[in-house]
Amino acid sequence: MSVFGDEFRPSSTPSRTRPHSNLAVLRLAVLLLFGVLVVRLVDMQIVKGDDYARRSENNHIVATNILPARGLIYARGGEPLVENAGVYAATIVPEFLPEKQDDRYRIYLWLENNLGVPVLDSQTRVAEAEKNSRPGQAIVMKSHLSREEALVLEEASTDMPGLSLRIVPGRDYIGGEAFAHVLGYIGPQTAEEAKLLREKGYAFNEPVGKAGVESRYEEELRGEIGFSANEQDAHGNLLNVLMTRNATPGNSLRLSLDLDLQQYVAELLEDSLGDAKVAAAVVMSPKTGEVYALVSVPTYDNNLFGDLERRQAEYVALATDDERHPLLNQALTESAPGSTFKLITAAAALEEGNITPSTSLNVTSTVLEFKGENGVIYPLYDWRAHGWIDLIGAIAWSSNHYFYMASCGIQNGGKGLGRNTEESAVILGYYARALGLGKATGIDIDAGEMPGIIPSPEYKRRVHTGPEFNPEDREWYYADTCFMGIGQQDVTATPLQIARMTAAIANGGKLLTPHVVSDVLGPDGAVVKSMHPEYTTVPVDPANLETIRLGMRASVSQGAGSRAAQPGLDIAGKTGTAEFGPEKANGKRDEHAWFTGFAPYNDPEVVVTVYFDLGVGGEKAAPVAGQIFRYFMDHVQP
Amino acid sequence: MTFGYAARPRTFAFRGWDRFDYLLLVTSAMLVVYGLVLIHSASSTTFDGPLTSFANPVARQALFAIISLGIMFTISQLDYHYLTHYAWLLYGIGILALIAVLLFGNEEYGSTRWFDLGIIQVQPSEFAKLATILLLARYFSEHGGDARELRALVMSLIIVVPAALLVFIEPDLGTSVVFGAIWLGVVIIAGVNRGHLLVLGAAFFAVLPFAWTFALDDYQVERISVLVNPDESPLDAGYNVIQSQIAVGSGQIFGKGLMNGEQTQLRYLKVPTKDFIFSVLGEELGFAGALALFLLFIVLLMRIIRAAQIAGDAAGQLIAVGVAMLILMQAFINIAVNVSIFPVTGIPLPFLSQGGSSLMSMFIALGIVQSIIIRHRAYRQT
Repeated sequence: MSVFGDEFRPSSTPSRTRPHSNLAVLRLAVLLLFGVLVVRLVDMQIVKGDDYARRSENNHIVATNILPARGLIYARGGEPLVENAGVYAATIVPEFLPEKQDDRYRIYLWLENNLGVPVLDSQTRVAEAEKNSRPGQAIVMKSHLSREEALVLEEASTDMPGLSLRIVPGRDYIGGEAFAHVLGYIGPQTAEEAKLLREKGYAFNEPVGKAGVESRYEEELRGEIGFSANEQDAHGNLLNVLMTRNATPGNSLRLSLDLDLQQYVAELLEDSLGDAKVAAAVVMSPKTGEVYALVSVPTYDNNLFGDLERRQAEYVALATDDERHPLLNQALTESAPGSTFKLITAAAALEEGNITPSTSLNVTSTVLEFKGENGVIYPLYDWRAHGWIDLIGAIAWSSNHYFYMASCGIQNGGKGLGRNTEESAVILGYYARALGLGKATGIDIDAGEMPGIIPSPEYKRRVHTGPEFNPEDREWYYADTCFMGIGQQDVTATPLQIARMTAAIANGGKLLTPHVVSDVLGPDGAVVKSMHPEYTTVPVDPANLETIRLGMRASVSQGAGSRAAQPGLDIAGKTGTAEFGPEKANGKRDEHAWFTGFAPYNDPEVVVTVYFDLGVGGEKAAPVAGQIFRYFMDHVQP
Repeated sequence: MTFGYAARPRTFAFRGWDRFDYLLLVTSAMLVVYGLVLIHSASSTTFDGPLTSFANPVARQALFAIISLGIMFTISQLDYHYLTHYAWLLYGIGILALIAVLLFGNEEYGSTRWFDLGIIQVQPSEFAKLATILLLARYFSEHGGDARELRALVMSLIIVVPAALLVFIEPDLGTSVVFGAIWLGVVIIAGVNRGHLLVLGAAFFAVLPFAWTFALDDYQVERISVLVNPDESPLDAGYNVIQSQIAVGSGQIFGKGLMNGEQTQLRYLKVPTKDFIFSVLGEELGFAGALALFLLFIVLLMRIIRAAQIAGDAAGQLIAVGVAMLILMQAFINIAVNVSIFPVTGIPLPFLSQGGSSLMSMFIALGIVQSIIIRHRAYRQT
């Protein structure tokens, strides 16, 4: 190089042009551009510095919830009805996915090849989450992985950022489908629930009781959530545990339900359905209100709610079955109680004194024509010409004409329950409510328990409004009180209400609150809380209840309920056959079949109520109830 | 001013040491050391081998720096007229290299900018920038050192545009902006007619909307719009913007301390030793550290502008101006990206970012500037 030296004069540089002298503009540009940067940094680091510092913290500190072990549920004998099962799920947190589309595709492809999740699915769901700016939230790509799948995923996820195995608490209901309606199920929070639950300290991914006992005893079963705050890097790797609070497991429940009895009754009802679509039975203690069996047929597998993704079709089939409504708890669903209501009419009439135990009526014809105040001729039917019967006979043989008389006073010189027909209806309603009808029993399961209807003149005026009703449809007629007296008209009740009412008659006037949970057990198995019988006293003289019990005993021993009789068992009961729906071509209407009773007569241990949506009480419900009594006495009673 | 030229022994291998700009040398060396410290901090999570290993990014960068310094001294000995003499040839090679890299280069982060030569990655645009500066200086010095003539101005555009376009296709938006800035700086100092510049400027802004629609790739449009609202796509294009914002902003006045920046150490920043090295600085050394950096750059640039001031001829002056614009714009764009006032584009921070190619080209440029200083006007007048 030095060959050119200072004397080098390249020929291609012809002239030594004078350089320009003013470079201030350049110096200005330097100062200006760096000035811009300084201004920007003042804004970012000094003015908004605190803000960014906070964001930096949040960037890498991740709080992880430690979900508590949910309490278990046991049957009366201690048999477990539910198990906690971890549900393995493949999840993607979009935030942690690699930036490059190629790398993401590799992960999606792995999901497709190993777990059968289509690539397109993954792509759309990730894109959706990112669009809704929820990139930090895990998306469940596939739930209910098998153990093998979970292991493969656990191993593979280490070099696939964003993809991970998540274990969500789930439930295995092992008590059989018979318990589905009582136990209910747990499930993920809905958007509406989430808001409320967050205030109670629930984690977003924490399942919550949705129905039945799972829902009603949520607070006992849930336990207390724990958490750990962890520091993690941009790839989601855990670096440091900053703080941990362990979760407290939930309390367990012991039900009053008997495992074998519940299953036996469920099978029995299923087998006895015949042309009926649905059936229900309640077996309960008239002493404590404990429910031994609460069965609704048809039932379903509540494990289905734990795996809704996979069993969607099955769920849709259940939810859209308008014929049988399998998801509905029939034991808590209202329908016309028919002649079982006559027990209430009897109690009301004895109490009001318009009849006495010895008041007799000669039923000579099955039809009693009666001209109402609106000029309409009402044919009042009885199911047979009973001849002379007293109250006990009327209960035993379920005479309609006798209870028309007891309620509205027809054939008794118009001497009904009250001074006029409206008052009679109101008085009858009062006794019905006193015996637990017309409002929910308060049983401790969340199943949409229906209150049932006890009509009244006021009720009829209120309900019968609208363009489809004439003004005269809103009036309360004499015949309305008569029909109400035999559990028709608009009266409805649930099998559980009828069972409870029967229990009150059986135990001498204690209207018990039914319950299915006997004890709450701590995580160590010790009893934390026990349920005590709760009741209100029915305003009916025990002597009058005794008379009614005698009628019920006669019903089973010789009357309409005789098919419930079991050798060696002193059973008392009442049948019911309630007409419902429109008149058919043969002039008849469909009928619900009821039987409600208790045993043994002298010291009632158990109340059994059976309901079929189609059938005659004495023929269909009574024999089933008899078998349940038999099973209870042989297998359950201590 | 008198210089001891006559007294200087001619046998001394390194000539012009008395005129050599040591402040310029020291400033550039301090910037490199600053960079080494930051690379050390930013790479500590990904590299935990010994400091002396060649695989250690700090050691590599230090080695490149030493080589680059040697090249700088060598070039400072070379009369820059020798370089302007071959400017057309160098420029031609530069353009060919840019075409070649498009055809055969390695793709990284969606952009084809590199040749992988095994031990070192070469970025032809670094070389092309210097060649373009040399050619512009040569051209204007041959034409009265002057850009007053419209013809000369258009000719200078014809020199810059092909290189800028080729870089734009790679795509490397930032570097094409650097090309434009170099051109602008050179023609302004070369005395461009303001009217001409206004017309050209107007034409440029008239074409801009079409460029937005047709010439800019989706990713570029996205990066620009992300700048306006990074939270809209926090994971894709917005990720770097948000993470660098958080890093710089959370540094506050004095920073979190070296090796203590969570954003850096927990790897929330992408390429923290290269394009986002300023975010590391901002987070760990804070506003104070940034000011120190700015001061170093300003001193460096002022020394280069001084070189332009005292240059012996128009060619020397315009080269110095070009180099000043090159370093100024690279530094500005890189930092502007880091503080989210410029769309994300892969421009290294001169002297600091990890990468031998960039470091070497910077010191070559400084070597040329030193050559201009050694042969400055006062000296020539003696």
